[in-house]
Formats: sequence, C-alpha cells, structure tokens
Amino acid sequence: MKKNYLKRILASALTLALGVVTLTGCGSASAKESPAEQTSSEASAQEQSDSKVYRTLDEIKESGEINIGVFSDKNPFGYVDENGEYQGYDVYFANKLGEDLGVKINFVSTEAASRVEYLETGKVDIVLANFTVTEERAEKVDFALPYMNVALGVVSPKDKVIKDLSEIKADDQVIVISGTTAETYLEKNYPDIKLQKFDTYATAKTSFENGTGVAWANDNTEVIAYAIENPGYEVGIPSLGSQDTIAPAVSKGNSTLLDWINSEIESLGKENFFHADYEATLIDTYGKDYEETLVVEGGKVADSSATEASSEASTATSSEAATDASSAE
Amino acid sequence: MNLDVIISYIPLYIEAFFLTVKIGWLGIFLALAIGLAVAFVIHFKIPFLSGISIVYIELFRNTPLLVQLFFIYFGLPKVGFTISAETCGYVGLGLLGGSYMAEAFRSGFESVPKSQTESALALGLSRKQLFWSVILPQAISQSVPGILANVIFLLKETSVFSAISLMDLMFTAKDLIGLYYDTKEALFLLVVFYIVMLLPVSIIGSFIEKKARFRTLGV
Repeated sequence: MKKNYLKRILASALTLALGVVTLTGCGSASAKESPAEQTSSEASAQEQSDSKVYRTLDEIKESGEINIGVFSDKNPFGYVDENGEYQGYDVYFANKLGEDLGVKINFVSTEAASRVEYLETGKVDIVLANFTVTEERAEKVDFALPYMNVALGVVSPKDKVIKDLSEIKADDQVIVISGTTAETYLEKNYPDIKLQKFDTYATAKTSFENGTGVAWANDNTEVIAYAIENPGYEVGIPSLGSQDTIAPAVSKGNSTLLDWINSEIESLGKENFFHADYEATLIDTYGKDYEETLVVEGGKVADSSATEASSEASTATSSEAATDASSAE
Repeated sequence: MNLDVIISYIPLYIEAFFLTVKIGWLGIFLALAIGLAVAFVIHFKIPFLSGISIVYIELFRNTPLLVQLFFIYFGLPKVGFTISAETCGYVGLGLLGGSYMAEAFRSGFESVPKSQTESALALGLSRKQLFWSVILPQAISQSVPGILANVIFLLKETSVFSAISLMDLMFTAKDLIGLYYDTKEALFLLVVFYIVMLLPVSIIGSFIEKKARFRTLGV
C-alpha cells in the first residue's frame, strides 16, 4: 500500500514537472523570439499555408460531394424543418450551388462563433451561414460577392421597448450570440453594456422569452423576424451600426472555388435568382416590403438612397459585374 | 503564437477562472451535502426517503449535465421559476454531483464491517455515538478516493456552462475565438488555466488520500 502511494506521488510530481516545462517552454520561446527565429517561424507558416487545408474546385467536383456550413437554428435563413430537411434563404442558394456544380451537398450545422474555424480547418468548403462581411473576418477567410444586405437591430418586449441604447440601465443585460457582428459591435462601441452571451440561436431566443435580458441585439433581419413571429415584442432599434452585406465565404486562398461562386452569383443575377429565393423562403416572414432592402442581386449592392443611374456607376464591385448587370437591364 | 495577444487575454481568463472556480466549488459543496444525506438515507433504509433517493440517483446519474442545466435554466422559467445563470450553474452541478457523491459515500458505508456495529452496540454505545464515532469516520476515509475523483470530474464538467451563458473558461475561449479569431492563443490559455485549476486539486487530493488511508489502518 505504501509503495503504491509513493508511485502516485512520483506520478503527480512528474506530471507537474512536465506541465511546468511545457508552459515555460512555450512562454519563453515566444517571449524571446529573436528576429532570426521570427523569420524561421514565418517560413514555417509559409510552408503551412502551402500544405493547404481547403479543396479546390476540381477536387470537390472529383469527390462528388461538397460540404457547406449553414445554420440549423436560424429561421428563415438556415434551419432544419419538421421533416429534418435543411431550409431557408441560405440553404436555397446552397442547393442551387450544389446543383450547378453537379455534386451532392453535405450540410454541416455551424454555430456563429465557429464559422471562421470551420473554414480555417477545411471542415467545410463553403460557409453559407448568414455570414456578414467584416474586415476582421476578411483577414481570415475569403468572401465572395454579397447576396444580402444586413444591419444590426435590437428587439425588446413591447411594454418596455428600448428605442435607444442609452435607455439600457447598468444592471440590465442585453442578449447576444457569441461570434456575431452584434457582439463585436457592442463590445467595441458600448463596453459598459452588460452582455449575456449564448452560443446558439435556440438558447438565446428561449432565454430572451424567459425574460433574462431586457433586449436582444442581432442582425436586424433576425430581430424583425422575431418580432413578427412573437406579438409581444417590438424592434425598437431597427438599424444600428453600419450597413453591411452577407456573402458566401471560402477558406483563405481557395481562389478556384471563390471565382466559381462569384461567376455563379453574377450569372444567377441575370435570372433574378435571389428575388426568387426571397419569394420562396423569406416572403412568409417579411412580406413584400423588405424584398428590395434585403436582396442583393448579382453581387451588386444597390445604394438605396441614390438614383438608379448613380448606383450603377458607383457600386459595381468589379467591372465584370457592372457589364453583367447593365446587360441584364 | 502572439505574446501580446496572450497578455491582453489574460485578464479575461482570470475573470473566467474565478467564476469557474466559484461555481465549481459551490456546486461541489452542495454535492457533498446532498451525497452524504442521500447515502445515509439509503444505507440506513429510512422508509419512503430511501425510495426517493434511489430515483434521484438514477435520474441524475443517467442524464448529462447539459440536459439538467437546460431543464433548470430554460425549462423551469416556463412554469414560473426564474433563477439566475449562476445559481443554475451550481445547483445543476450540485444535483449531478450529489448523485455521484452519494454512490461514493454509500460504498464507504458498506465497507464498514458489520462486526463494528455489533461490537459498538455490545460496548453500550448509543445509536448516535455508533454513527458519528464508529461508522462515519471509517466510511468517509474509505470513500475519499471516490470523492476526489468526483471533485475533479465536476470541475471539468463546468465546461458545458456556456450553454446557459455563463462566461466560464471554455466559453471565454470560444467567445474570444469568435470575436478576434486568434485560435492558437485562446486555446493555449484555455489549457493552461484548466491545468492551473485542476493540478493543485490532484496534488492536494493525493495528500488527503494518504492521510485518509492511515486513518483506516488506525495508525
């Protein structure tokens, strides 16, 4: 029995020693990184990016399958219906991509916070999960042309509508979903507002219904849909922060797939595909009113305040897109 | 690995560390109390209560903590009980842990030979003295290894707290990855902080186990 005990002490001492070595080893290496070491680590990073994580367009076609990351709990953009089928605005587009590529689609359910990770590790080929284009994200993944407009919005119960963020008291909590643009925006611009963070849409909504937060901040599309479906709630702040776009994303450097998606979005614009998508998936929720505000056709963002002519001149993301769009008209 | 990023993250991790430790230990103490009470009730076959206790143990040992937390945090408000995420965290942990601790204590009670009870009664000890001075000390020293294993298990179970919006270590790491995409740094700190939290428990645990074993031998 005594011997047994000694073994145990020895084992824990060894574990401790190992732990300390590992920790200090890592710490000091990064602390004392000399310029020479830095270049070598850069070189190895270069090598790493050479051994790519993503699959090219040809590899995807060859395998006959494409992995697309979508939401499974964000109705009406990406969700699983009562028959277990993926549905929604994003999914409708994903199905079209799969059809035109001639491959089978594997839908991969993602959480907001893991979208970048999924692309960086090559677990999916494309993320079509209502992914707002931001500068920070664009450093990590490659965005294709946009297919939807978005801004942030805040919904709150009707009896205590919050029309301005200054109405939120110090003890009040605002619900956000981890990894969304709403979280980033509030963290950056309103660090004093207490955030209650959830990792899925489903839990955030349930908790909001249970009254744990005074308001819920998210993409305005989402909060508008929520207020329409839940009569006791009102979107007090319909637009917050900058107007952004939503676009498909691929792993950094996957240019063959990116180019293909871009040309696909442009050619789909000619058949008004995204309007059809809206009418198939979103019209039940938003009605006809939001169609022009939300839909981006052919990857070409229209400036809603400008006239048609000036918007055509100013917003073409590429010359190709401009010619496509004008020839469509 | 970017050292500046790591340094800027450390305060957030320290905050999460204290929250995790606080909820973890509150849960563990609750679990110990529940476990001891339940084991007592079952071992001494107290009518009615022992039936409930067995149902409790089987219910909580055979459902994941995540399910229990969902039930407490999202389910109970639907029937009118709203509790804060923190309370939900340690109550959930306490209920789960209680069922495991009860089993550990029970095996301790069962390991005390019948002859001990008989001798104590023959010597004229009261029932109360029998329990507090004869059975309990021996039972506890026998259950120490099981209890310690449960303590570490429960501290690790805190990693599912993200589901109920508690900013524990796991959620802090996930959240930072989602915000700034510095995956390597966030995960590195996550491992470091879990080790900092659990290694002392392991070491102190071995020490306590040694003490407890001497006690059983009567040294």
